[in-house]
Amino acid sequence: MKAVMLAQFWKDKRAPFIILLFMAISILLTVIFGDAERIDQTTVAIFSSESEEIEEFWEQRLNESSDIEFVIKDEEEAREGVIHGTSDAAVHVMEDDFLLIASSNKPSIQMIEQEVHQVFLEEAQLQAVAGSGNMDELRTEVQEYMKNPPIEVETKSLEGGAIADYDMGIQLLFGFTLFASMFTIGFKVNGITIDKASGVWNRMILSPVSKTSMYMGHLIYSFLVGFFQILMVLLIYEFLMGYDLGNFLMIVTIAAVFALSMVSVAMLIAGFVKSPEQFYMILPSILPIIPVVSGVYMMPGTITNPVLQFIGDIFPLSHAVEAMVDVTLFQANWNDILLPIVFMLLIGVVAMGIGINMVERRR
Amino acid sequence: MLETVGLSKTFKEKKAVDGIDMYLDVGESVGLLGPNGAGKSTTISMIASLMKPTSGDVLLNGKSTIKNPADIRKVLGVVPQEIALYEELSAYENLKFFGKIYQVKKAELESRIQEVLDLVGLAERQKDLVKTFSGGMKRRVNIAAALLHHPKIIILDEPTVGIDPQSRNHILETVRRLNVEQGTTVLYTSHYMEEVEQLCDRVYIMDHGKIVASGTQSELFSILSSEDTLQVQFSKISENFLEAIRAIEHVRRVEETGDGVRIISKKGSNMLSELVHAAERHHIQVIHFQQEVPSLEDVFLHLTGKTLRD
Repeated sequence: MKAVMLAQFWKDKRAPFIILLFMAISILLTVIFGDAERIDQTTVAIFSSESEEIEEFWEQRLNESSDIEFVIKDEEEAREGVIHGTSDAAVHVMEDDFLLIASSNKPSIQMIEQEVHQVFLEEAQLQAVAGSGNMDELRTEVQEYMKNPPIEVETKSLEGGAIADYDMGIQLLFGFTLFASMFTIGFKVNGITIDKASGVWNRMILSPVSKTSMYMGHLIYSFLVGFFQILMVLLIYEFLMGYDLGNFLMIVTIAAVFALSMVSVAMLIAGFVKSPEQFYMILPSILPIIPVVSGVYMMPGTITNPVLQFIGDIFPLSHAVEAMVDVTLFQANWNDILLPIVFMLLIGVVAMGIGINMVERRR
Repeated sequence: MLETVGLSKTFKEKKAVDGIDMYLDVGESVGLLGPNGAGKSTTISMIASLMKPTSGDVLLNGKSTIKNPADIRKVLGVVPQEIALYEELSAYENLKFFGKIYQVKKAELESRIQEVLDLVGLAERQKDLVKTFSGGMKRRVNIAAALLHHPKIIILDEPTVGIDPQSRNHILETVRRLNVEQGTTVLYTSHYMEEVEQLCDRVYIMDHGKIVASGTQSELFSILSSEDTLQVQFSKISENFLEAIRAIEHVRRVEETGDGVRIISKKGSNMLSELVHAAERHHIQVIHFQQEVPSLEDVFLHLTGKTLRD
């Protein structure tokens, strides 16, 4: 087994670029898409082509309740900002309506639109109630009334503390990190198919090395490479890029179980293919679908279709991301992450069993 | 030493190997000759315990290797038809890897690697990556990898396919040395009959999954023994003269070829003097004559009605 692992290592030592490339890709994707989610750190320009009063009115309303900072800017400057990508969006405010100006459909745009829409809706409701009466008086009345509301709802976390804001950036960070490692693990597991096609596998069969050792050599090596990649990326996030990932040991444990489970899924794919070339073709076709059906790119609860939810659940990615996010954002303990870990292990056992069986039958 | 008994293999209704009986004695060099698709590689895979036969058995010193594949694996070195190497590694690293999986002792491994590299003539290129090697050099490393554990029997499956004549000669010489100098038993498969003629004491000829003939080379040539073929060139040829040749006793067939006449006669019939007399009577001179020696190719053609490369 050691010799098999060592041979794979010698090969990768000569060409480590694939692993480095996927590490770089996962960091790059997080920087691009993860930071795009962090709109609380950005400002959104507003302008009006009608009057300054309208601008000032809506600036005050919009900044009353939102985490996003809305700033009055000149129309040309606001549009330039969107065109050159220095801001995600700008809002053209009118007396009773608004226009959102954006250059791409980033997730942050939806959040800005939601915020602005909510403020305009509330204002429209107030206007409807006030009718021909005095708007400012009604507003003051409502504000006074809301100081002592008849019903007050207070939301607390299970531990009794405040509920942490859901950070989509963290979810994407874990999602992209694990997603990139799936490619590395898959390509390493394909070493078995390559050995079979080249005849090296038959040579090993004729040697005193047992078949279990042959498989273990390849699979353990694939796991180690995949896990090493995830670990390196997480260390970079935690210690170089200043992300607070929470209990690092728990995150690393989840990563290890994920890598193990993903090795099994790759083995299952290897069981379906006839040649290494087919594996190279099928793996990049299947993997990008997994984060989509697992809901990794979306806020939790976005996918409601039970069929899609089931498909997402049969891959380890959704369980790993869920567990990691729970640890980082909601300070989950070992008991809390036990279920996703068990799911991943179960997927691993089933996929490995079927995969090896199919690979052996294909001989 | 090694014997197959009624060895058969069927793939989805198609019989690839059909009841093969063959044996290899210690120190022998045996050829397995047949065209592509004859079933040679399947036979080898079953002998090497890489594939289970549908029926029949492989016996090593009388013991079934189907039941105990470990027995034959200990004494066997297989050189597959494909280049079963890691091309991203050097020749040395490949041999080190195969030495390790064959559990060659650490103290012995280094010297053994150098020995096999010397044998295949690649000691000076051992640090180079296999992917930079020519086809012939790759095939030589392929052979070296099968020799690391001192196998008593070596099976070579078409080891010279698609390589240059120089590498081919080197490989043939290596196999000859293994057999003659080191006493290794060799089973050599090829569809190049001249290689088998050069290397092997005995030959099995396969076609459509069956052994169609076997024996020493002279035994196989004797299959064609009922006839002698004489190729003769005359100063001129006339129809009367050809009739005169046909009239000679024991002459069975006379064919006019581009540069003379081909005379097929009964084996051992000494008709040369009568042929010369007939030529004199017709005032024709005999310029050149040659007794044709049969090759394994002729034997194969006689047995199957096709050439080895068909």
